[in-house]
Amino acid sequence: MSVKRGEILGLLGPNGAGKTTTIRTILNIIQPDSGSIMFDGKEFSDAVRNRIGYLPEERGLYRKSTTINSILYFASLRGVAVQEGRRRAYDLLRRFDLLEYYNRKVEELSKGNQQKVQFINAVIHEPDLIILDEPFSGLDPINQIVLNDILMEMKRNGRAIIFSTHQMDQAEKLCDTICLIDRGRVILDGDLAAVRRKYGKESMQLGFVGNGEFLKELPGIRSVYLYENYAELVLTDGSSSSMVLNEIAGRSDIFELKKFELAQPSLNAIFLDLVGARHPQEGRD
Amino acid sequence: MKKLFAVARWEYMEKIKSKAFLFSLFLTPIIMVAVSVIPALLASQADTESKTIGIIDLSGQVVSPLSKLLEERFKLPTGAPNYLLRSFTIDTSKNAQTVARHEADSLALAEMIEGYLIIGKNFMGDSSFEYRSPNVGNVKLMENLRSVLQDFLLSQRLIARGLDPHLAKDLSGTVDLKTIKLSKSGEQESGFSQVFFTAYIFMMMMFILIMTSGQLLVRSMLEEKSNRVVEILLSSCSANDLMGGKIIGLSGLGITQLLFWVLIGFVITVKLSIALLSLPLMLLILLYIILGYLLYAAIFIAIGSPVSTEQEAQQITSYLVMILIVPIALAFSVAQSPNSTLVRVLSYIPLFSPSFMIMRIPNQLPSVPEIIITLLLIAASVIGMMWIAGKIFRTTILSYGKRPGLREMIALIRSA
Repeated sequence: MSVKRGEILGLLGPNGAGKTTTIRTILNIIQPDSGSIMFDGKEFSDAVRNRIGYLPEERGLYRKSTTINSILYFASLRGVAVQEGRRRAYDLLRRFDLLEYYNRKVEELSKGNQQKVQFINAVIHEPDLIILDEPFSGLDPINQIVLNDILMEMKRNGRAIIFSTHQMDQAEKLCDTICLIDRGRVILDGDLAAVRRKYGKESMQLGFVGNGEFLKELPGIRSVYLYENYAELVLTDGSSSSMVLNEIAGRSDIFELKKFELAQPSLNAIFLDLVGARHPQEGRD
Repeated sequence: MKKLFAVARWEYMEKIKSKAFLFSLFLTPIIMVAVSVIPALLASQADTESKTIGIIDLSGQVVSPLSKLLEERFKLPTGAPNYLLRSFTIDTSKNAQTVARHEADSLALAEMIEGYLIIGKNFMGDSSFEYRSPNVGNVKLMENLRSVLQDFLLSQRLIARGLDPHLAKDLSGTVDLKTIKLSKSGEQESGFSQVFFTAYIFMMMMFILIMTSGQLLVRSMLEEKSNRVVEILLSSCSANDLMGGKIIGLSGLGITQLLFWVLIGFVITVKLSIALLSLPLMLLILLYIILGYLLYAAIFIAIGSPVSTEQEAQQITSYLVMILIVPIALAFSVAQSPNSTLVRVLSYIPLFSPSFMIMRIPNQLPSVPEIIITLLLIAASVIGMMWIAGKIFRTTILSYGKRPGLREMIALIRSA
């Protein structure tokens, strides 16, 4: 896998696929058994450390220290001078609406606020490569937008971002390229649009009210992902959506269609299809 | 190097502000003083009122001279006698002694008398007396009774041989033995206790330094592990920078604590040791302290970094305390015979070497080859242990859950 400047790479995979291990290997925290990791065509070195920022999935901060001190510590560990670190910390804290906690102990902050501080820790040294493990979890919608804006801005400034997540809709909205891994192997990677084209099938996305159980029994459908009032049906080659719509019309007593869209399959469907096929014993339905 | 100091600075600045540190900084000297001074104060406190001691005198010749002696010797601050004797009469009946004892027992249990003495018929011959009391823990009273009885017996024996009882006082008397410590730089008046305490203080200093900083090391690793900060740290600096920075920062903390205590409490004792030791010797001791500290710091890291719960951390510290206690427990015998074979042999074991050498230097300077060899041995084990600690630290600091067993650890050191 590779990520270029100005690009967001989604590192996707089921639990235990090896996402965190991959990230740790990139960070040189653990050594790869085989293969190599290059930065701008060069091997890992101490100088590279100052150019990488990392937000781990398991959140951790020095609870007893003040917000500003802990940020400055991580800045100093990445070679940022104190004055410069203070200036950047101030800017970032303001953007995240955290200035009132400047001199407060981290343990006094709410979970979401702690997470924002951690994100600041990860980017205080303005790294070229930013690795984020589930950065949105625990953030309310407002802060999700703030974080999203900052990520977009960093992307425009030519930084490379690796974004690891389980949430396919997040990945779909943010990523330029994706890399889907399972059990330590890459099973799908490349440009997001190309991946969807390559996957190729047509997908029907339905919004409805009622009982959608019968959708699972319909012919000409490769896979069905059924939710309470939403369903995604991936069609087999050669079958058409009008067939399905006809069937639905016949069930108007129990099923009322609210919305219908014909599209390339969502990343979620691709993920479930590919990973589900590799884990048959775990089932999909 | 820059990052190493960033870590050191952080560890030092953050921990020095912590409540736990400030607490131990001020509380430890207070507790130490309390523990050593209060019992002494309590023990030396004079009685405020006279105490009555019963006496059953089977010989019939002790009561009045003994009570005179007691009155002369022990007085309350008010001038009244400290101890009063109360004699229990013995008639000629067959079970007279049992009756008297019965009475004395009940008075003692009712706390009317402190206790009572039984003087045997043949006390001049067998020198034996009996004191019965519900409280036999009053060391001061026992000591006073013993000394009075001793003097009484002596004077009685002198009289029995037709000698003047005052002779005893004139002929006996405490000996004044001056001790002069000889060394190549000249002679110096100093007592055993002075030498002993000088050495002991230096050893305690090392002990405190190791315990404080060692515990902080394990704690700090544990904290970063449990809050997962360690992953960010390891992505920003090398494991060696992290480990080295921790050791430097936290030993700085230990030294700060030590200096503070020296300033507030140990001024006298340090003055005492400066009088006894030349500057080069002080520096030599300091070198042993630093090397000893580094060795233990490495051990703390090696066995502390795989730990993931507070309980395990506590266990580990208590094991190390046990090893550290050995030289302290042996301190007295080392001071008495600093050149015995056992002490010499133990001086070569790196774990004990610093403590034993620190004990020996103020007593009798070990030979130059001995000093050089022990220093080299400790330095070599510091380097070796640091190397091992580094490997273990790098690989286990990220591991959570079960602590690796000894065999896994060895495999790990080999493979890393």
